[in-house]
Amino acid sequence: MSLLLVAAAPWLLTTGYWRGILVLCAMNVLLALSLNLVMGYTGQLNLGQSAFFGIGAYVSTILIKSHGWNFWLAALAAILASGFVGLALAAFATRLKGHYLAIASLGFAVITYQVLINWESVTQGVRGIYGILPPVPNTVALFYLVAGIAAAVYLLLDNLVRSPVGDTLRAIREDEISAASLGVNAAIWKAFAFGLGAAIAGLAGVFYPGFVGTLVPDAFGIIESFTMMAMVIVGGMGTMIGPVIGAVVLTFLPELLRGFGELRLMIYGLALTLVVLFMPGGIVQAWMSVRHKTRP
Amino acid sequence: MTFLRAEKLNKSFGGVAAVQNVSLQVPQGAIFALIGPNGAGKSTLLNLLSGIYQPDSGSLLFNQANLIGLRAHERVRLGIARTFQKIRLFKQLTLLENVLAGFHIHQDVPLWKCFLPSSSTRFRAEALELLSFVGLTSRANDRAGALSYGQQRMLEIARALATRPKLFMLDEPAAGLNAAEVDFLLKRLENINKRSITVLVVEHNMDLVMNVAQRVFVMDHGVPIFEGTPREVQANPRVIEAYLGGAIAA
Amino acid sequence: MTDLLTLVVQQSVNGVYLGCLYVMVALGLTLIYGVLNQINFAHADFVTVGAFAAFFTATRFATKALGIPDTGAYLLSLFSALGAGALLGWLVSAAVFAPLRRSGADELRPLIATIGVSVLLENGQLALFGPIPYQFDSPLARETIRLGPIFFSGQSALVVAVSAAAIAALYAFMRFTFLGKALRAVAQDRETAGLMGINENLVIALTIVIASALAGVAGALLGPVVVLTPFTGASLIVKAFAIVIIGGFGNMEGTIIAGLLVGIIEAFTVQYLGSGLIDLVVFAMLLAMLVVRPTGLIAERKEENV
Repeated sequence: MSLLLVAAAPWLLTTGYWRGILVLCAMNVLLALSLNLVMGYTGQLNLGQSAFFGIGAYVSTILIKSHGWNFWLAALAAILASGFVGLALAAFATRLKGHYLAIASLGFAVITYQVLINWESVTQGVRGIYGILPPVPNTVALFYLVAGIAAAVYLLLDNLVRSPVGDTLRAIREDEISAASLGVNAAIWKAFAFGLGAAIAGLAGVFYPGFVGTLVPDAFGIIESFTMMAMVIVGGMGTMIGPVIGAVVLTFLPELLRGFGELRLMIYGLALTLVVLFMPGGIVQAWMSVRHKTRP
Repeated sequence: MTFLRAEKLNKSFGGVAAVQNVSLQVPQGAIFALIGPNGAGKSTLLNLLSGIYQPDSGSLLFNQANLIGLRAHERVRLGIARTFQKIRLFKQLTLLENVLAGFHIHQDVPLWKCFLPSSSTRFRAEALELLSFVGLTSRANDRAGALSYGQQRMLEIARALATRPKLFMLDEPAAGLNAAEVDFLLKRLENINKRSITVLVVEHNMDLVMNVAQRVFVMDHGVPIFEGTPREVQANPRVIEAYLGGAIAA
Repeated sequence: MTDLLTLVVQQSVNGVYLGCLYVMVALGLTLIYGVLNQINFAHADFVTVGAFAAFFTATRFATKALGIPDTGAYLLSLFSALGAGALLGWLVSAAVFAPLRRSGADELRPLIATIGVSVLLENGQLALFGPIPYQFDSPLARETIRLGPIFFSGQSALVVAVSAAAIAALYAFMRFTFLGKALRAVAQDRETAGLMGINENLVIALTIVIASALAGVAGALLGPVVVLTPFTGASLIVKAFAIVIIGGFGNMEGTIIAGLLVGIIEAFTVQYLGSGLIDLVVFAMLLAMLVVRPTGLIAERKEENV
């Protein structure tokens, strides 16, 4: 049912502007799903996810623009690159817990951002890369492409978390030491989660430059990581549908609040803080408790 | 036949020796008790045996396999399971999910298959059987965090048994349990032992293990004091002294 | 030869002044961690708030409304920044930290809540003040003082003076007043402190207020030196964390040393590698530290209670 609604969306929202928002929403869904795999299912506090989004965007764009690669091959390379760097971050996750990991991942995001700014010969730094074309001719087609990919990723991840792998990741999240006492090699599985999460974020990144036309490092900083995290938590961390809901809500809500001017951006911070204070399970938790109460 | 052989194990933390020159041998098929007053170093020793710590020096053999250098999760595959002093369950997961987690090392589903839809019911029956062994079948779908302390302890045991161990080590399993629960626990341990699983129990309360253990190893301040049968241990003056001359039920 | 020496000393002086700024921010972070075992991700944004409070006081309120001349206006703005920081700290403590403590939340939730506050503050200030940088002129920034061949601005001197005074005041407070000792007690063992009649909630709130006030003042001192935007504080955040980690969480002396160290390293990096790479160098240091010695310069290997 919801798939029908999604498919019909570009025909319900017919202005170019709103169709653009739909594309952005689909990308955010991918990003939220990727972060949820690491944070929600494996329990690793990762504040550096925006770095992988950026790596996906930059690697694909540079390959296309400077080396004339075909879009799809460049996309594949970018995804692999992100995933590979994700494994590197995982190396930190195996040694660090909680606060320390949060800060290390944040530092990692900042370093990536600084590299993007400073390595001007390759990335053009703050000047940006211009004139990037999307792989399909119009916004509607782009929406179907990204949304389709997001749906596919959702299904694959859903199967994954229901499989023994999902059990393993959850065990690591709940208690790493007792998971080890059951034979779980936490280091390997964390690497898997980080790598896969990074690859998916990179996948989202591949479509971003074509969507905005110009690529600058500013889109991949700390605040983007925080926004992604807000989507996961507001929607419901640790569930599959939660990140999707969170991405949709936090993409559309600021748009609907345009009447409030710039204050609408405060919605991210406000939603995140309020959810953490009063409803840590996010919208999914709220929905569950409503259903519980209305059950005869 | 000696199943587990530790020789001259040493472990210090920040200059303080927690375990000093400890050698012990656990015979196969026995129920072996490791006792001593609080702070004796028993838990540290258990952590050395299960792989949470690596010893500073000494040797450790399990069934002829060298355990030194092997990490905790690797030892599980050799057949060593354990429970913890502070119960470490997956509180947000159900009882059934907790026990199923124990079957992880027996899973052999290739990674790519995990991205496809499937229904894994493979170990369900065995998991339910383990739950029934510890008397928790009726609550299989409750969240583990909702159980009483005694029930959580039994769940932890069921979960560890799911790994199909040959050596099962428990760290102060009776702590916090009432008399009926302790009785149930001890009967379960005897039953486990009858299934050819070697059991090693760490306890600081002597009474409990006297009725069940075949061999007892006593420690104090990180150093071994005495080893023998339960009766020998009860009569040994050094052991009695270590427990501050406390009255010990005969 | 003396040129090189002069250069080294000059950069060290610059480094010390930068370091003092960082120490003021990092001390607040470490204080909060000491009593709460939590990291306040919004701390750097408190700095920004302080900077803006100071800006508006100095440029609009003091000079125009009260007619106080430049330098006086600026010094007055330090106090308003302190007040703004303190007020903000109290608000966050009451609205975020206290409720979470009452509901017995784990480590993760307060951390994420402070991230939420950070995003809220940044976007809020963005909405109120816009993204275009403000020019915060401090009259002292234009004055140059010479000590032999070494130059520094009046602003730097003020920074060092204020931070030294603040640190001294903090030490005196912790050692000689009852509240200060209560703070140390709570930092060491909250439960026992509570059992001994210390009102933990009051002490914790007070700590947060002090820490935020420090951040606010740091913002006022920082404002004239950097570009003032709603994201000014955010650019400091990872440096502040780097300092707290290198110095050791909750360790005041370590934080001070680490802060000065980072400041000096930054000064030398700017000199030899250019300003674009500062962040990279500091963060690389941070990551190296986390890998090698996560518990800070002064570490103890303790037994994990399994």
